[in-house]
Amino acid sequence: MSITLALSKGRIFEETLPLLAAAGITPLENPESSRKLIIGTNRPDVRLIIVRATDVPTYVQHGAADLGVAGKDVLMEHGGEGLYQPVDLNIARCRMMVATPVGFDYEAAVRRGARLRVATKYVQTARLFFAAKGVHVDLIKLYGSMELAPLVGLADVIVDLVSTGGTLKANNLAAVEEIAQISSRLVVNQASLKLKHDVIQPIIAAFRSAAAAGQA
Amino acid sequence: MNHAWLLPEYVEDILPPYARQVEGLRRRLLELFDAWGYEPVCPPLIEYLDSLLTGAARDLDLKTFKVVDGLSGRMLGVRADITPQAARIDAHLLNRQGVARLCYAGPVLHARPAALTHSRELLQVGAELFGHAGVEADLEILGLLLAALRATGLADFRVSLGHVGLFQALSQAAGLTDDVRQELSAALQAKDRPSLEALAAGLPEVWSDAFRLLPELYGGADMLAQARCDLPALPGVSRALDELGVLLRSDAGNVLSVDLADLRGYGYHTGVVFAAYAGGQAQAIALGGRYDNAGAIFGRVRPATGFSLDLRRVSNSLPAVAPRGGILAPWGQDADLVQRIAELRAAGERVVVELPGQEAHRDESDCDRVLARERGEWRVSPLG
Repeated sequence: MSITLALSKGRIFEETLPLLAAAGITPLENPESSRKLIIGTNRPDVRLIIVRATDVPTYVQHGAADLGVAGKDVLMEHGGEGLYQPVDLNIARCRMMVATPVGFDYEAAVRRGARLRVATKYVQTARLFFAAKGVHVDLIKLYGSMELAPLVGLADVIVDLVSTGGTLKANNLAAVEEIAQISSRLVVNQASLKLKHDVIQPIIAAFRSAAAAGQA
Repeated sequence: MNHAWLLPEYVEDILPPYARQVEGLRRRLLELFDAWGYEPVCPPLIEYLDSLLTGAARDLDLKTFKVVDGLSGRMLGVRADITPQAARIDAHLLNRQGVARLCYAGPVLHARPAALTHSRELLQVGAELFGHAGVEADLEILGLLLAALRATGLADFRVSLGHVGLFQALSQAAGLTDDVRQELSAALQAKDRPSLEALAAGLPEVWSDAFRLLPELYGGADMLAQARCDLPALPGVSRALDELGVLLRSDAGNVLSVDLADLRGYGYHTGVVFAAYAGGQAQAIALGGRYDNAGAIFGRVRPATGFSLDLRRVSNSLPAVAPRGGILAPWGQDADLVQRIAELRAAGERVVVELPGQEAHRDESDCDRVLARERGEWRVSPLG
């Protein structure tokens, strides 16, 4: 019974390596230098597939991968339907924030009750967040460089991931409200957990203890 | 460009030879249900929306196609699930005092697909047992589900058991508000430990420990024994564990396991729930369980338990269909030939008559033998 694990390149892959090692899994190639999308491991029954971070939940939900590592931001946007999320891996940590130009009176804009123009990659998350606050918003879906939108009058505020705050500062923006703490989760296909329980459960347990040890 | 052939999204035809497979499965399952004493019912495709979406079936609202009835001006819904219809029939029309066993097979529509790549038109086949609150009824339904899965020819499947009553007993004893209960239930179903930790953090320790433990309680009889030690000794909890124990002991083929965080179904379930998984399918292929309040809105509360599955998806998990084969017969009005064809058909053979001028398209007929006259007699020989 073979297991497929979906990962994205870059930070998530780097920070998942120690967790994989804890589960006794070593990739045979480095995805940064290899152009292969399917990467074998030291274990013949485990292989990795390299996909875009936003696609990880889709691959796992369809059963194209049994397991995956996906950021909470991606899962919130995807909805997480049909997935188990048993472990917070405490890697790739950052925060999902509302940010505005420095000097913009966010509190007053929210209180006034008019529509707030929000530019973001995370349309679904932003919609739910502002609906819970009772604020009407016009959502503007962007695919990158969100910081630009309020500077050129495209939007009043942005919703984006903030890790150091460097990009915000460089563009004269300030984070005004936190939407969620973000870190990566281990996600598991529901049918896989039932059908391949004996293989998957030890991997989950290894990830869990390694993640807990990493946090301590 | 002409797009008249285009179907709406998430809607598909079933073509030969798969339609034959699906129809064969449908017949085989209805025969199985008949052998177990379940009587078929055929509820209508459309009903007043109010009756389709009553009580606990409210979850189905977003799944239900709606149209305005030109005759009454009221809203109609196309059924998204036959189970509530069977409950209505049992509660209001049959009025049996004892047990009623009903089964059905028919199409249902989902306004939005239940999961990615699922069809919006399902061929729902199921069986329901009304009027018995004991675990014996659940045992019968589980047995019938296993027999049905075997009858379909699925090679490897597993059935995961859960119990909604256990979660309800815990959340009632912990005095949870509806909102918290729903969030907790969602976190448990996703085995979302981080959210579970956050939600349980505010509760007294005895309850937070119990909720935290639920996703870990997965396995067989040993796990049940452990759960009995570790979970609070509430009457609802012990009853649930007892019932699951009885069901587990019936496991002949080693296909059952218990997952105490599995609370799935359509939201109307109240007791034991089960979900069947098959290799190659990313979602459950059959769902079922106990739903004791479904008939209330129709005037009669009756305990009920049952299951249903989508034959289209079951058919997708089966190996490719073998060619049907058959006998190709020439067209003719010769009395001998006509009688020979009738005899072969009566004996269960598939006989295809080759109409004049069709000789060039023989390979499309899916036949492996041919009927030909040899020395004055009609004989069947291999098609060469």
